[in-house]
Amino acid sequence: MSELVRSPGVGPASVEHPAIIPLRERFGDAVIRHEIVAGDEHVVFVDPAAILKILQWLKESPDQRYDFLSDVTAVDYGGGRPIQVVYQLFSMPHCRALRVKAELPLSQLEIDSVVPLWDTANWLEREVYDMFGISFRGHPDPRRILMPEDYGEGHPLRKDFPLRGRFSRAEQTRQALAGAPEDHLPVESGTGGEPRIVPWQEIHAAAQVPADESDD
Amino acid sequence: MIREPSSAAGLPGEIFGSGTPTFLTTKIDFVVNWSRRNSLWPMPFGTACCAIEMMAAAASNQDLARFGMERMAFSPRQADVLICAGRVPYKLAPVLRRIWDQMPQPKWCVSMGACASSGGVFDVYSMVQGIDTIIPVDVYVPGCPPRPEGLIYGLMMIQEKIRGESLSNHPELRREAPEEAGRPRASAAEVTALSGPFGNSTRQEQSGGVATNLGLSSKGPVSL
Repeated sequence: MSELVRSPGVGPASVEHPAIIPLRERFGDAVIRHEIVAGDEHVVFVDPAAILKILQWLKESPDQRYDFLSDVTAVDYGGGRPIQVVYQLFSMPHCRALRVKAELPLSQLEIDSVVPLWDTANWLEREVYDMFGISFRGHPDPRRILMPEDYGEGHPLRKDFPLRGRFSRAEQTRQALAGAPEDHLPVESGTGGEPRIVPWQEIHAAAQVPADESDD
Repeated sequence: MIREPSSAAGLPGEIFGSGTPTFLTTKIDFVVNWSRRNSLWPMPFGTACCAIEMMAAAASNQDLARFGMERMAFSPRQADVLICAGRVPYKLAPVLRRIWDQMPQPKWCVSMGACASSGGVFDVYSMVQGIDTIIPVDVYVPGCPPRPEGLIYGLMMIQEKIRGESLSNHPELRREAPEEAGRPRASAAEVTALSGPFGNSTRQEQSGGVATNLGLSSKGPVSL
């Protein structure tokens, strides 16, 4: 009988994830703990201060090559517990997945941006900021992305945020109609000058990736 | 068969026979209402699954064009009926209000489905609790989503409503109110009354959260 063929990363053989031991050897105490959830999903909890170094190593080390950032999100379990920032990584060359989490205490919701590593983190981190109020150091465009930019009620996915919002329905209606629809058009920021509404042709042009910059 | 030219009088008398008059007397209200209600052009404002049923109502099987909704007007300037099909978040509320303001009189509005009519199951921070807090609504079509027959029935109710209108009360009924453009239709007290009793199963009050780093009062809802 030939050995049972398993898809990569599935089953008892994967209890030792190929990234865990090298991570511990290289970063020591910055790797806080390792969990396996839902059968075969590997989660590494790391020190938020070292997140950029660790993710850069995971992306660039030849044995790891986690070149695809599937998602950046966050979890608030409530009760004053720390908010977890979740990085879901995937390695195309090795066909492996890894989840990296960093726990941020409610008193200091700040972590390094990983936009220098993956461009896709730009909007994902904006969403985490919008929904949880975590600020990302070094983010090129730290604005809300889903809620209106002048939204004054806080960050809706936090456990201490009431389901129906902080303001009364009348106040929410009044505020919604106080602004013009043009207020929600994309506005260029970070250039130091007056905010400027970006024509859609420019947005379209910016979305085109030049051929010589495509990754790998 | 080639029709013969009409008789010596020069009148086309084939239908009723020669010598019958070629005019009829009626009321101007009747003629105006008849033409209006049979050429309603809908402005589709579809934001969710209700829009799929609206498309089905306009497609060949249900064929909304039978009732004079000959063409969906994708410009509010050329529309008579606003069909709001789907949930409307607060971020979209000024857009909906602007489109309604851009439609010329006479105009009517259909609120299609539970979400547009009352917020539906989305009793949450981001959702308008019924578009009648934003714009006036003539007909509410219940359902989640309503069947195309439901939407067609709602539009036929609009036609019935037009039948009862008269040019004599037209100025106050069809008044353009530029000073109300861009403002909520309902007053603050009305919005509170509409949204208050329909609290969902969580019964979560607006003041329940801990407003720590916002500088907001946590003692009660922000009053106006």
